[in-house]
Amino acid sequence: MTDLPDRITLNEWDRRYAELSRAGLREPDYGGCLRRHVDDGDTRLLSLRMDNSAASLRLWNFLLTEEDRLRKAREEGKLLVGTLKDLGTVPVMVYSMKNAVAFYPDGAWWIPCIMERNAKLLEIADSLGIDDSFCPVRAMLGAFVSQAHFPIPDLLICSVGATCDDLSAIAQRLDAMGHPVHWWEIPFRRAPDPGEESVALPGIFLAPHDQVAFVRKELERVREILQDRAGLALSDADLAAGIGRANRVRSLLDRLRETVFAASPAPLPALEMLIAEMLAIHFCSDQNECMAVLESLLAEATKRAGAGVGPLPEDAARIFWVNPVADLRVMNMLEDAGGRVCGTEYLFSHALDRIPEGIVPMEALARAALADPMAGSPVDRAERICHDIGRFGAEAVVVSSIPGASHCALEGTIIGDIVRRRLALPILEIEVPPITDSQEPTLRTRLEALVETARSRRAGIP
Amino acid sequence: MIRVGYFSPFVPPEWIAAHGACPEWLTLDGTASHAFNATHRGVCPCAGAIAARTMDDFALDAMVLTTACDQMRYAAAYLDTVGKIPVFLLNVPSTWQSLQVRQLYREELERLGRFLTEIGGREPRGGELESIILGYDQRRSAALEARAKVSARQWQETLVGLRSDPLGLAPHQPKAGQARNPTFMNMSAPCAEVANKDSKTRARMEAAGPTSSRALQTGIPLALVGGPLMTEDRSFLAMLEQVGGRIVLDASEGGERTLPATVDGRRLREDPLEELVRIYFDSIPDVFRRPNSHLYEWLGEHLKAHAVRGIILRRYLFCDLWHAESHRLRQWSEVPVLDMDVIAGDEGESRRVLGRIEAFLEMLR
Repeated sequence: MTDLPDRITLNEWDRRYAELSRAGLREPDYGGCLRRHVDDGDTRLLSLRMDNSAASLRLWNFLLTEEDRLRKAREEGKLLVGTLKDLGTVPVMVYSMKNAVAFYPDGAWWIPCIMERNAKLLEIADSLGIDDSFCPVRAMLGAFVSQAHFPIPDLLICSVGATCDDLSAIAQRLDAMGHPVHWWEIPFRRAPDPGEESVALPGIFLAPHDQVAFVRKELERVREILQDRAGLALSDADLAAGIGRANRVRSLLDRLRETVFAASPAPLPALEMLIAEMLAIHFCSDQNECMAVLESLLAEATKRAGAGVGPLPEDAARIFWVNPVADLRVMNMLEDAGGRVCGTEYLFSHALDRIPEGIVPMEALARAALADPMAGSPVDRAERICHDIGRFGAEAVVVSSIPGASHCALEGTIIGDIVRRRLALPILEIEVPPITDSQEPTLRTRLEALVETARSRRAGIP
Repeated sequence: MIRVGYFSPFVPPEWIAAHGACPEWLTLDGTASHAFNATHRGVCPCAGAIAARTMDDFALDAMVLTTACDQMRYAAAYLDTVGKIPVFLLNVPSTWQSLQVRQLYREELERLGRFLTEIGGREPRGGELESIILGYDQRRSAALEARAKVSARQWQETLVGLRSDPLGLAPHQPKAGQARNPTFMNMSAPCAEVANKDSKTRARMEAAGPTSSRALQTGIPLALVGGPLMTEDRSFLAMLEQVGGRIVLDASEGGERTLPATVDGRRLREDPLEELVRIYFDSIPDVFRRPNSHLYEWLGEHLKAHAVRGIILRRYLFCDLWHAESHRLRQWSEVPVLDMDVIAGDEGESRRVLGRIEAFLEMLR
């Protein structure tokens, strides 16, 4: 058995799993061979190349068994809270309660990719008038109707205001279809006026003090709803402890990102890093296990970085990636084209930044919520991207648009112009639908051209 | 006097006028939008038209956009980066259940006031806000009284005037050395018309008459529901009446649905700004509110009151907010709904639209 890092197919994972098992692999209760997920309908795995470490195996199994955990939580009588849109804040509150579990039904946007549209969720959305002019998050509507994926939450909490129209419009439809939504307002984050009292948010943004106070009151409304529905008090002490746990996850992710993005060759591929980052928003429905999964990945990445090995070539072009992809395969495609990811802004950088501790917990959560890159101007977002590019040293940027998403129509232009002007980096904007097979030649060519450009600039060729 | 463009019914023109500025409800050119959208795929035609208009109109001194839709929010950011004129983004909360969102809207109006002062306006003088609010209210009431006697096209044009400078506070002269584009000039005509005394306003609207008075008497009563209209959509309204329809309820974004509530004199005297919050934020039903139950309550009441026999839902491609309501509206409505998705500035569009409207009217006859 070789332990050299590699990206391998599912067929190769069958053999790899047998080897690891023979070598004494110890797995958690959700562990097992990845092939079983294909048998359950997750057929996109057949088209992916995945990292060959035991840590990555654990990550994939953790991701693909979330529905089982949610059903178990329901059987145990826990309150199932569907949180929509805020990506990272309300789940911290929910996981501060002993008898509640939070998850994002919006996460269903990946089902048409993972199950290669076999689940027919987009077709159900079509039948309800939510066609492909909407972002793939419309799959969520199909999942609520089919009830064949996540269990229907006991409570739905959705942030609205400075959010995307797609999610807001679809959540409104859910509400009208008999799934009552508790709305809370996230205001558009503006720059403080001259002389106006301001607050530093996690990350790099400032916000007016009054806006933070506003969000704090909105989150107090959320706290009341949670307490009422869970039948338990959610004290400041509970919240402080919950913030502490969330920060442990964020800290692990920060170290993982630092280790992987700074090392050459990359110790872990982009696909596994994308999934690892996604864990931060709601811990994949099990906070403790989430930490264990990240610790395992961090240990693997540290070991590989120390040994100077990784699954990608050392001269891979260093790419900063903006927005999550609807088709996971595109992360493979970048690496096949000779690139590697060394920095990301997947629309939830506020879920990766540490939540302030040592202040009133609701104040800390309000600051975290307002740091959401989508709550502010895309100009702010571009600033954050420039800041993070400086941290990890990218040679080029990919802005990956989400088809139909209201925010994507203009943000690529705005972000691209600012990054180009500030950092003079080559930028590629692509659109990634849930399944890219028919567009693969075009996408691959464009990614290869970007990689070639980045490499030629190393040699001083403009 | 500075000229301030805006395009959302949640921006009170009274507030802009009270700050010594001239509010301009923008009439948008779909052709310009078409050109902008050709290079910015996925942009809603309205957001594209706003961007194109702002970059091309040399008479505007500032623009006020709102957070009521995501695309407009991004258009504001885009225009901010272009940097041609100052752009103010008014935060209009989507929710309405708590007192604090109402307070946020009030604070946003105050912030808008400071912005207007900084760019060349001034603070309202004693009693000025109150009298301007009252003046706008009287003009709206006068226009509403004559509503049934005018064509849909004339009604839209009248409302453009009512949302701009109906009191005639601003001199309608282009600035020295600055060009006025044709769209801008078109907008000024109804604006000036309704600036006259209330009785004259009514008389002129009635005298102008509909495109066809027969259409107003015998046309099938319809409701127009959806987002904003552009300049060329006035032809669509005329066409609709020519083929036998009659818009008795204009629930588009520029129609009566989004007119503010009637002013309460006592409240106005007590706190004029608070009264603006009440007649705008508390009263206008719109698709982006969460939940948007008030929109359906308003439609339910007015569809019945106007004996509407069919609804035309007219929405732009990439307008998620109205698009998502299409299916729900059809399930909810007791009368047939024609769902028309449109793009702007497409020459072939009017033929397709005409065909669909004719078929819809045939069904209703």
